[in-house]
Amino acid sequence: MTTAQTLQIAGLSFVLGDDVNTDIHCSNKYLPGKDVAYVAQHAFEQLSPNLATQVNASAGGILIAGHHFGINSSREQATHVLHAMNIRAIVAKSFGRQFFRNAINNGLPVFECDTDQIGAGQTISIDFEKGELFVEGRTVRQTHLLPKEILAILSLGGLIPFLKKYPDWKFA
Amino acid sequence: MGRTIVEKILAKHAGYDSVSAGEVVVAHIDFAMVTDTRAVNTIKMIGKFGEQPLQFAKNTALVLDHYSPPPSVEAAQIHSEMRSFAAQRGTKLYDIGDGICHQVLPEGGHLTCGDLVVGTDTHSVTYGAFNALGTGIEGTDVSAVMMSSKLWFRVPQSVRINLRGRLAPGVWAKDITLAMLGRFGAEGLNDIAIEYVGEAVAAMDIDDRMTLCNHAAELGAMAAILEADEKTFAWLQAHGAKAPAPVFADPDARYVEQIDFDVSSLTPQLARKHEVDDIVSVTEVVDQKIQFALIGTCTNGRLDDIRQAASILKGQKLAPGVRMIVTPASRQIYLAALREGLIEVLTTAGASFESAGCGTCVGITNRLVPGDGDTVISTANRNFKGRLTNKNADIWLGSAATVAASALTGRITDPRDVVGGTWRSAA
Repeated sequence: MTTAQTLQIAGLSFVLGDDVNTDIHCSNKYLPGKDVAYVAQHAFEQLSPNLATQVNASAGGILIAGHHFGINSSREQATHVLHAMNIRAIVAKSFGRQFFRNAINNGLPVFECDTDQIGAGQTISIDFEKGELFVEGRTVRQTHLLPKEILAILSLGGLIPFLKKYPDWKFA
Repeated sequence: MGRTIVEKILAKHAGYDSVSAGEVVVAHIDFAMVTDTRAVNTIKMIGKFGEQPLQFAKNTALVLDHYSPPPSVEAAQIHSEMRSFAAQRGTKLYDIGDGICHQVLPEGGHLTCGDLVVGTDTHSVTYGAFNALGTGIEGTDVSAVMMSSKLWFRVPQSVRINLRGRLAPGVWAKDITLAMLGRFGAEGLNDIAIEYVGEAVAAMDIDDRMTLCNHAAELGAMAAILEADEKTFAWLQAHGAKAPAPVFADPDARYVEQIDFDVSSLTPQLARKHEVDDIVSVTEVVDQKIQFALIGTCTNGRLDDIRQAASILKGQKLAPGVRMIVTPASRQIYLAALREGLIEVLTTAGASFESAGCGTCVGITNRLVPGDGDTVISTANRNFKGRLTNKNADIWLGSAATVAASALTGRITDPRDVVGGTWRSAA
């Protein structure tokens, strides 16, 4: 049996604030009939105009946010939109409860830490196994290390692929 | 170190002696629930695993409540797909009119003290009224449970809220939960497990305890859980639940916050239009006119709520121009109201009854659509703009007693200022 793969992600930072509601800003809940591709072109535009375009033009974006990213959001679709936007990970002080679950279940890495000193347009790399984020020569520690089960879910692309490989949740 | 109720339930279900807040655990689930709003997605994901038997099917219920009765061909087709899936894969099924998921699960004897129960609806926190850890999840989560009987959880921090004193007559659990929303704000207890304890909880009947826990969803809580007592055990036994294994917090359990809230001077509370945490005392807004009244939903559609309304409207008529709809939370409640004569009382007063379900709360069945400029006073748990499909109508939230008293006068009314109310006949 293999152990969980090392999960390392790098990308350019894009900054949002506190209390980002992904139902409003990153789903079709209020855009009936619009698909993931459409929402991905317009996500977060009321909070940060052109963010979607800029992320798309980058090699891969890392969203930086404050408290409660995804608050009050239960729509799993938000994670599909974020994938479609070329977002590789989300770094926030804290996450809305169900958003945190949805992100992990859909293979979108989430990293909780103090984000006050992280600016826009910075090159960021994250080592999820060590729980460390590197930016501008500094290291920021993760609030809670993600356990090996969660790292395995993320590295396999989500909960369903994980369970197809490990139906009893058991892996070495 | 001492443990909270939720830490103990998660530890037991994950096979550990103890766990503490912040840890992630993989826990065995006792029962899972899927509503019709998430069923198609769930069935599709189950399909990805192929035809292997669903061992957890017998512990899963599909509930046809949000689109009940179906308002469109699309909704009817979703229900047909759910019926076929339940028959083929062996899950339980609650069909249209059977009731709202959070009512039919406890009524069906599907949970007991100490259980871990998940459902595809944020108000799954209601099961905490029975000392069970109930929590809301999404489609991928419930698919994983149905395939593997397990799910991962991040152990939440807990807040202990001591509800000291006795509620004044005419004041209810609904008023406490609205006061909590005023205090903490919507989502103000994001991912927190709330333990409600104290004299006021002990004095509540099960119906009111379910309201207390249900409304914690608007606080963003992962769970809202009560300690079990003789009332809990009697109710569970009467509904055919397994033998309870009650879980109590340790005296030295660690809480992120401990709050003491004296309920004895609490007045009836209201959430004003559009925001669930814009809370006022009913006494401050008695001139506000209302045109539509709703008694129902998973928050306040239980027998005690319908009794409140009937006791206030008995022998009376709704104020001119006021429309009122009553939606019992389940078929069992509908039947109990029928046997008690409550349906005759309310229908005579001018109210209309809808079959049990969520339709009059979320506005997707179009069974309660206010007109432009209407103000709706409702026992529901959410009042954001357009929830009842019309963005030009306002929704205010209050207890069943407040809603009924307001329907009687045509303006927001303190239930203690009208004749009737079961709290008086009981006195």
